[in-house]
Amino acid sequence: MAGAARYRASSRGLTMLVVKAKKQLGDFTLSGSFTSEGGATALFGPSGAGKTSIINMIAGLLRPDSGRILLDDDVLFDHAAHIDVPVSRRRIGYVFQEGRLFPHLSVRHNLDYGRWMGGYPSDPDAFDHVVELLDIGHLLGRRPGKLSGGERQRVAVGRALLMRPRLLLLDEPLASLDAARKREILPYLERLRDEARVPLIYVSHNAAELRRIATSVVQLEAGTVIARGGIELLDAAQADMLA
Amino acid sequence: MFVRFFAIFGFLCVLAGTPQPLFAQEQLTVFAAASLKNALDETNAAFSKASGMKVVSSYEASSALAKQIEQGAPADIFISADLRWMDYAAERKLIDTSTRVNLLGNKLVLIAPVDSKLGNLNIGHGFDIAKLAGDGRIAVADVKAVPAGLYAKAALEKLGAWSAAEPKLAQAENVRATLAFVARGEAPIGIVYETDAKVEPKVKTIGVFPYDSYPPVTYPIAATAESKKASAAQYLGFLRSAAAKAIFEKYGFSFLIKPVS
Amino acid sequence: MLDLSPQDWTAVALSLRVAAISTVVALPFGIAVAMLLARGSFWGKSVLDAVVHLPLVLPPVVTGYLLLISLGRRAPLGAFLADHFGIVFSFRWTGAAVACGVMAFPLLVRAIRLSIEAIDRRLEDAAATLAASRFWIFATVTLPLALPGIIAGMMLAFARALGEFGATITFVSNIPGETQTISVAIYTLIQVPGGDADALKLVFVSIVICFAALLASEWLARRATARLHGA
Repeated sequence: MAGAARYRASSRGLTMLVVKAKKQLGDFTLSGSFTSEGGATALFGPSGAGKTSIINMIAGLLRPDSGRILLDDDVLFDHAAHIDVPVSRRRIGYVFQEGRLFPHLSVRHNLDYGRWMGGYPSDPDAFDHVVELLDIGHLLGRRPGKLSGGERQRVAVGRALLMRPRLLLLDEPLASLDAARKREILPYLERLRDEARVPLIYVSHNAAELRRIATSVVQLEAGTVIARGGIELLDAAQADMLA
Repeated sequence: MFVRFFAIFGFLCVLAGTPQPLFAQEQLTVFAAASLKNALDETNAAFSKASGMKVVSSYEASSALAKQIEQGAPADIFISADLRWMDYAAERKLIDTSTRVNLLGNKLVLIAPVDSKLGNLNIGHGFDIAKLAGDGRIAVADVKAVPAGLYAKAALEKLGAWSAAEPKLAQAENVRATLAFVARGEAPIGIVYETDAKVEPKVKTIGVFPYDSYPPVTYPIAATAESKKASAAQYLGFLRSAAAKAIFEKYGFSFLIKPVS
Repeated sequence: MLDLSPQDWTAVALSLRVAAISTVVALPFGIAVAMLLARGSFWGKSVLDAVVHLPLVLPPVVTGYLLLISLGRRAPLGAFLADHFGIVFSFRWTGAAVACGVMAFPLLVRAIRLSIEAIDRRLEDAAATLAASRFWIFATVTLPLALPGIIAGMMLAFARALGEFGATITFVSNIPGETQTISVAIYTLIQVPGGDADALKLVFVSIVICFAALLASEWLARRATARLHGA
């Protein structure tokens, strides 16, 4: 598929994300330190562990108190060197928990938004590929207000993908959906991981979901990274919960 | 939806759009004492017809007009109801003193609503105006600045009625507002010019103030310092003509000069 | 029935024109100030808020007088504008427009500010992740979503400007055809013997216009909201 090849070409082989950040959030100290090398890295832990805060820091929506964040050779944030690249220039796609589609724009315009803002030329093949990947072709003329939860999330993923991100962050994208919708969307996310060739950082507290998506796991608890490894960590965590 | 917004925006702009320049507009602007309204409107119409020039008049208390001219109001002609405000303008070099002429005279009268039980009175020294007012108020123009109010105060003082009258005054911003108070029955009596009483059918004159109790009411006219000289001269010339004299006298003003026609 | 004199119709036309211009000119300032108050955080923000609301609470005549001593022909700023740009405000329709604009400004800002504050900032964050700069976020997300409030604010400002009297008569007095707006015309007419009938006709006209403006504002704002959310 030509579209997929294009994506492969635009991601620089294995992308390395280095995160070493500290942030005081009220009484809660967040201290995240991990490296991610391509594929789909899960950021796993219970609610309130600080997972969303960490990806907000990666995206640039939250400013760490100290530390560094690097994406390949690009320094996104370096407290000591006073570097803080603005959100709009990081080229990091973000799929939010609630989708956050623009209500005043059609699905098509939502999808096109990032490409337009980034100044990229129109790429109908890539557009069609993403639309096909996520099966949202029949929704293009609609407004977000007229979509179901599952459809909204798929459009949100498509929107983030079409801005040619170097990295894609997903914050509990299935959390607001019921079991049936979750089952419906997971295959699309698996296809995303396999075909879009953009490294993913996937935040969730749901081990079952992650077991299908993740290729590596960073485990977070009470604001600190307590483990790094493969998906076997998810089994261990599940075992802990049952114990 | 943006289209709709710009449509409204555009509509408002079109509404706004008749070319009216940001700069001063060319026309003859006359600032005249409020009491002149009816007579001067008719005179202006006659002038426009004869000369083809458009005249726009602003009628307010002479005090207000003088202050506005001082502030830079675009008047070509100033007609005051007393000498003091014309002097005020002259001192501040706001008028062309070579064009100044005392044109009209007037008289001060006591009025009441037309259905009032008060009848014809002889106003003389010791005149009990407070009793006439009863528990209502005496309508006058602002006694501190407006000519009609200043004349009224002078007359009341001369007649020994001022101290009784002062606490019962209802002061209005010009003599026409005073007239309106009485016409509406808001005040049982009021002091205005004879010419004002003449144009308002809802009031009647119940007394005439003795001529020696107040300085003679004089209306000086003049072109302003910043006026368009030729047009202003033409207008002032018309005001001094026999045609204008006829109109002013019809309304009850006395014409103080020999008409030039 | 509505046989108004030409002078009265002039007052109506002048009022509409002055109100329209003042609303249109005030709009960009209104949006800017509303954005500052809704989103900014800077020293003196509450001072700005208070200053913006002053014309709402100050006696209109005071506002008019302040305009006179700052923008009048003999005032420093007014003289500068007159001498260098030929722009004169005092006793001109331009001054009437300024008086109306100033008096209506707080209403404009309030409506727009409320509208902006109601916008979900997370949408703006989302736009930022999609490579939109602050300007483009404002133009493509904030402004369109604030549109119902902007429309409501504009119509309210227009209606307020139509009814402006105190500041107008103090700043630009009462010159027929130039500054004699409907309110001033009515005020003048009630002092003219026999003018009550004409005054009432003008009162009727101004009620009709304001009513229409308010109804239009409601309708437009509702339509904009519906369109916004894909109706």
